[in-house]
Amino acid sequence: MVLAAPVIEVASFGLARGAVYALLALGLVLIYRTTGVTNFAHWGLGLFGLVAYFLLTSKAGMSPVLAAILSVLLAGASGAASYQAVFRHVKRTNQVVLILIALGVAQFAAVVAQMLLGFEATTLVEPWLPVSRVNVGNAAVFSTQIVAAGAAIAIAMMFLPWFRYSRTGRALRAVAQNREAASLAGIDEHRYSTIAWAIGSALAGLALLLIIPFTAGDRGGVITAVETTPFGNFLIPAFGAALVGGLVNLPLAVVGGFVFGIAQEMMILAPSWWSTRRSVVAAILIVILLLAHTERFFVVRAEQEALEA
Amino acid sequence: MKSLVAPAETAVAEAAPPPKSLSMRMPRLKRAQVLAGVAFLALGFLPLAFGSFGLYIAAYVAVWAMLELSIVVVTGYAGMISLMPFTFVGIGACTTGVAVAVWGWPFWLAVPLAALATVPVSVMVGAASVRLKGLYLAIATLTFGNALGETLFKWDDFTGGQAGHVMERPKLGALSFSGDFAFYVLSIATALLMVWAVHGLKNSRAGRAMLAVRDNEREAQALGINATKAKLTALVVGGMIAGVGGAFYLALLETVARSGFQSPYVELTSLLLVVWAVIGGIDSAFGAFLGAIALITQTVVFQGAERVFAYVGVYAAFVLIIFLLLRPGGIVQVVKIQAERIRENPSRAIPASIIGFGIQVAIIVVILVYGAE
Repeated sequence: MVLAAPVIEVASFGLARGAVYALLALGLVLIYRTTGVTNFAHWGLGLFGLVAYFLLTSKAGMSPVLAAILSVLLAGASGAASYQAVFRHVKRTNQVVLILIALGVAQFAAVVAQMLLGFEATTLVEPWLPVSRVNVGNAAVFSTQIVAAGAAIAIAMMFLPWFRYSRTGRALRAVAQNREAASLAGIDEHRYSTIAWAIGSALAGLALLLIIPFTAGDRGGVITAVETTPFGNFLIPAFGAALVGGLVNLPLAVVGGFVFGIAQEMMILAPSWWSTRRSVVAAILIVILLLAHTERFFVVRAEQEALEA
Repeated sequence: MKSLVAPAETAVAEAAPPPKSLSMRMPRLKRAQVLAGVAFLALGFLPLAFGSFGLYIAAYVAVWAMLELSIVVVTGYAGMISLMPFTFVGIGACTTGVAVAVWGWPFWLAVPLAALATVPVSVMVGAASVRLKGLYLAIATLTFGNALGETLFKWDDFTGGQAGHVMERPKLGALSFSGDFAFYVLSIATALLMVWAVHGLKNSRAGRAMLAVRDNEREAQALGINATKAKLTALVVGGMIAGVGGAFYLALLETVARSGFQSPYVELTSLLLVVWAVIGGIDSAFGAFLGAIALITQTVVFQGAERVFAYVGVYAAFVLIIFLLLRPGGIVQVVKIQAERIRENPSRAIPASIIGFGIQVAIIVVILVYGAE
């Protein structure tokens, strides 16, 4: 079967979008599972990385690739810093306060990003990956979209075994499952929570860097007023993706990311009554996932109780 | 879920020994109320000094206080985080617009209709809230607000198209509220009435049920409190307050563009509402007013001066986080603790309060001077 060119092109946009959702969802799940924080500031922390990339390339004149690496590290550092400064001081059972604080951090990050961008309505950022058109069948897709999808899959493939078998990964899971037992076994809860925040936020920074600098194709990309709002346009679907795995299952969060991304773009091809109501479909899906309480399928009873306390 | 303000009560208790009986406590409350009343009256006359612009800002504050009150009921009393308060405001505003501008209803009939129009959405959120706790409800409301922005607020008949319905300020017989002073008096009177009602709700049977469910849902149910009913009541009451606020929001601005109720602006405004409700004091009706004063003075006064607005925004986020860690009861709690300390040890606490207040003022002044350069 030969797919029509527009289908392939739209699907490649969906793949890139899905990669972003997958990386955001991976970070959301990692942070929620280890520290119990529903990270509404996830977009804001990723935004730090993007803004750092813009400043490093445009103001400091650094080479884009080096700037991209540095800004991913900076996003991770901002996540670790926000855990150390704020989140570690709140009991994880106090969900309402944790969420309100996350909202405060989101607000903080968004306004700081606006300040650093100099209050411009749109800010041009240069690409850091080579952008070219690649022919797939009779369609031409952007190389960066393939790179984004490939990067997300590669990171997931590396991350999941690491989380399962490495010493740090096992310690992270121990903290998630039973903090008390973990600390009795000599695992420093705060150290591993900081690591989880750093990795999660670095992934958020990478997610933004994989899509925003390429929004205008080979001319680079733009940061608009939408991106500098506290939740951006990506956080809600990323939560949806994370909820596919009940906010606790990492592989399913990645799968969910791609499903949400591709579905969202493919619906553009649907009749206009449907394509203009994509967020409604997303909302219905998310509410169904929420009501199904999917997390109970993925975690042991003790961990579920720890999360629900 | 633990109480949002449990540390608040313990902090007050540490500062002063708990009163032995209720009768001992009553006079102190009364005096605080009288003081608050006097302060309010004084504040009420303040805008007059700034003429028409001052009155406009003051009316804006009053309307925004109504919007903040809905968060006090839903999040402060019942402990549910709703990230769609501004969607309810939009429903109220658009319903009022349809009723007045299209059907030709008087404003006074449109206000109750605006309140009622929010009920179906509240019930929808309520149905979700039965099964979803804490973060799950927060995510659900975030997506509800997003989805309603793409459906309800794209419906031209409801929103009045891209530009929105145009409505004149209300009239009552020969009495017109179109002037700035008259509208200010109307909106501040309505807001104060609602503050009084929401404050009263806290001590009513329904309000105490909400607080009990907020502090410990299982314990409350064991005591025979219907948690579902308490949550639903909070959501419906909160939604109706936001609906009335929306009607006044439209009356204040005379027209409201629908893009404000669509993503991503609806999330932005909802978040601002929540942030400032927390800073004011989320479980206090009076705190809602303080939050509204703080938010609107900066929003309106610095309109266009984005830099100042941003600096204040960063400072506010900082204050919010400090408050949530140390004083979850917001400004109201800080004032209460300070008042308690002054009562205990005036010679030490009065200078400390003045210095603390002075530092706040100094920070704001630095922001203003630095931002306006």
